[in-house]
Amino acid sequence: MESVPLVDSMVINLLVGLSRAMILFIVSSGISFVLGVMRVPNLAHGSLYMIGAFSAQSISVLFGGSPVSFWLALILAPAVVALVSLIAERSIFCHLYQRDHLVLILFTFALSLILGDLVKLIWGTDYKSILAPASLRGSIPIFGASLPTYNFFLLALGPIVGIALWVFTNKTKMGKITRAAAVDREMVDAVGINVSWVFAVAFVIGCYLAGLGGSLVAPTVSISLGMDHTIMIEAFLIVTIGGLGNIWGALLGSVIFGLSQSFGVAFWPQFAIVFPYAAVVIVLMLKPRGLLKSVW
Amino acid sequence: MGKATVKMCMVMTILITVLALAPISSLARPIKIGIVDTYSGPAAVFCNDCLNGFKLALDDINKRGVLGTKIEFVTRDDKFKVDLGLSMAKELVMKEKVDVLVGTMSSGVAMALSDYARTQKVPFIVWLSKSDRITGEKGHRYAFMTSENTAMVGKAAAMEFARKPFKKFWIAGDDYEFGHAIANSTWGYLKKLKPEAELIGESWWKVGEPDLIPYITNILAAKPDVLIACTGGASMHNIMKVAKATEMTKKVQIWVHGATDYLVIKPLGREAPEGVMSSNAYQFYYPDVPSNKAFVKKFREAYGSPPSFMAFHGYNTAHFIAEAYKKAGAIDKEKFINALEGLKIDSPAGKIEMRACDHQVALPIYFGLSKLVPEYDFAIVTDVTTMAGKDVMPTCEEIMETRGK
Repeated sequence: MESVPLVDSMVINLLVGLSRAMILFIVSSGISFVLGVMRVPNLAHGSLYMIGAFSAQSISVLFGGSPVSFWLALILAPAVVALVSLIAERSIFCHLYQRDHLVLILFTFALSLILGDLVKLIWGTDYKSILAPASLRGSIPIFGASLPTYNFFLLALGPIVGIALWVFTNKTKMGKITRAAAVDREMVDAVGINVSWVFAVAFVIGCYLAGLGGSLVAPTVSISLGMDHTIMIEAFLIVTIGGLGNIWGALLGSVIFGLSQSFGVAFWPQFAIVFPYAAVVIVLMLKPRGLLKSVW
Repeated sequence: MGKATVKMCMVMTILITVLALAPISSLARPIKIGIVDTYSGPAAVFCNDCLNGFKLALDDINKRGVLGTKIEFVTRDDKFKVDLGLSMAKELVMKEKVDVLVGTMSSGVAMALSDYARTQKVPFIVWLSKSDRITGEKGHRYAFMTSENTAMVGKAAAMEFARKPFKKFWIAGDDYEFGHAIANSTWGYLKKLKPEAELIGESWWKVGEPDLIPYITNILAAKPDVLIACTGGASMHNIMKVAKATEMTKKVQIWVHGATDYLVIKPLGREAPEGVMSSNAYQFYYPDVPSNKAFVKKFREAYGSPPSFMAFHGYNTAHFIAEAYKKAGAIDKEKFINALEGLKIDSPAGKIEMRACDHQVALPIYFGLSKLVPEYDFAIVTDVTTMAGKDVMPTCEEIMETRGK
């Protein structure tokens, strides 16, 4: 069998794993952000990711043929998801903040079911497809293999999103308030800041990231019902191993997950499914509370 | 006339009336079909199309009626899960008292339902699942299959590969019953027909895996001649997208059963990859015969799009049920089964037969390469090779051997 030299194979798999990790990071950072501030795992996150993908496709079709249709979809689709989450938060969720934690979790679960069926009602059951913009189509030959150009775009975008989140949480007033609320919401309330609106901001930002993840992944996958379930398991595992509520932990967890999958595929493809989950088990055995410090 | 005589006459009249009405009242009740299938998640698009084909056929059938009554159906969503599918089937049999069970997309669910149907002595027709174990190794009196199975597809593929100069093969696909069944069947037959064929690697991903890039990148690096892609549902669509994104068909011949089915290929539009080897038991544009054109026209008028191969199976299933009941002459499960065995019906693509020995429909398998043509805004399969059902089905002796008989 003619095979690619080991070093070349490792570089290819590194790039593939990292590009996958960027999507996982963008989605899981949203869960981590909401979890960190509100201490609630948003079980509707996957549904919002799915809505992001479907919305991106619809917007792309709306501006069909236009060279900027993909870029418009990338801007507008996450905004649509943010709007949906704001409506859900302000209409029902915010009235439950004083209730038991379990009620909040159950609300997000109910929301995931409702949104899942709404997607079916609005978009139907047919598979949808969206193209990457012309400038990002095709593949780039690298070390004897071909990697889609779009994957390089994802590699560049992931760190930008991470930096943007860091700037928000560390350099903006609202960001600092959300960090403070994550640590001690009672004190934030005591100094006269409306914690309910802080939670709304955090929830919407988290959901925006879900929508962004869905929009970004749309050109690479079949946009279909059920894509919410697939991402949820992976995203929650990443948040768990990264450290609850820790954004940089989400990045580290995503990189571990993405790389273990791509190297697993390279070295033992028949059982590649196992590798990322084995990595999760090993991390939790060594660091039960996650790789980085949880925010609470 | 004495009082006793009058009483006697009245009793006789009542008795005769009851006896005369009894058969009519038993024929008056509708024939009830219980359908367990996946109506949520990624598989829903296929199952809905199948149901549409079934309903289209029933519309015609019920105009004339069957045994003086109509065929009705109820559906249940198994969500692609075995435990749910089984509980739905139990409810349909015990509570709804269906005469026939029909389903389902998932081969795993179909196998569970088949086993249940056997214990309950209820006929079960599999219309979308493809595992050859359903009518092969695990086949029995109560299980029937109106779709092609993985043994037929595998043998057809092996015959196609054997006559081409391919030597190195890679198998990849969804890690579930269908994926492994089609892989085992294809490789098993290929090794018999072409002993020099070499399997250089295997990759298995979880069902519905969205990111196939890591897998495909590594497969391309290994440089096989052929990638046997054992994918179902959304994975068929995913692999076509990745094949285009990585320009795979320029380096490797990829084969995907069902790749050019309308529901899979349409969303890709003019961006579908060309040169993908695709096989199917039905394409709406092939065979180009009057019966198929009429079927496609009616389906389009009813549902706004051409039928997929799922709709074809649903349509045929309805006709098999109707014709079997007509032949049986009664709403009786055992008589229905006896009538269904060996039954031939006119499908849109020609006459098809429910083989008596294994309850498997003999369907042709069409092979071709995907190509973009001006007539359609999506890729179709061209340079079609047709393999007759009888040439690709395991023989009855082989079937009995796998069943241990």
